[in-house]
Amino acid sequence: MTATSSKHTAKKPADTRNTGPGRLLIAVYAVFAISATARAGYQILTKFSEAPLAYLLSAFAALVYVVATVSLAKPGRTWFRVSLIAVLVELVGVVVVGALSIFDAVQFPHETVWSLFGRGYAFIPLILPVLGLVWLYRRRPAPHKA
Amino acid sequence: MDAYFYVILVVGLLSTVICAVAGILKKAPNDVTILSVAAVELALLVYLVGSIVRVVAGEPIAGEAWEFWGYLLTALLLPVAAVYWSILERTRWSNFVLAAVGVTALVMAARMNQIWY
Repeated sequence: MTATSSKHTAKKPADTRNTGPGRLLIAVYAVFAISATARAGYQILTKFSEAPLAYLLSAFAALVYVVATVSLAKPGRTWFRVSLIAVLVELVGVVVVGALSIFDAVQFPHETVWSLFGRGYAFIPLILPVLGLVWLYRRRPAPHKA
Repeated sequence: MDAYFYVILVVGLLSTVICAVAGILKKAPNDVTILSVAAVELALLVYLVGSIVRVVAGEPIAGEAWEFWGYLLTALLLPVAAVYWSILERTRWSNFVLAAVGVTALVMAARMNQIWY
């Protein structure tokens, strides 16, 4: 219960994001990291020539999820920045690829995690970065002393 | 969808509901929530043993065999990892992590059924 009560205070004694709700976030990111990596690996190894762009995107998405999972689990200011970048890239990725997969179905005929805004994954890929940003904002490191 | 899938469907959803409710009630992981996840693991183990028996008996897997086993082995790791994590930090949030196991196992079992048939 300590994590829940300390969540609302602005200043954090320890600069970590891997407790309380953060653990759920990391767990979901980990599941996506595993499934996206496995899927991208499978696509690239067995049918890469069918849709190189889509499958490279799959691999890129997988990499983003892996980086997000690891960085969220690590304490410290640097890992906070890595998390922030990874989650922002994820958000941009799911929005851009989601839109492209609707408007340019010729280039993106093959499914990736981010196709159709993550519809194949119950839209979790779209919700996850938003929750990630909220969590990172709440657990942002104290500003540098001026 | 075969009987294995429906067993995981029932056990998985039950486990997810139990763990989610416990999390909403601000409870830390306890015997009930951890045992419900253990039941998911047990259901997956039954699926594993059943599948091995079927393959040995000569039943073919329609899809990629290694994809099927990959899914099954990954699914088997999830409950273990989630329980381990919930023991490391015993807060209500760990119950939500445990709750994620049931639905994830369900989705993976559905995919495994698709690959098999």
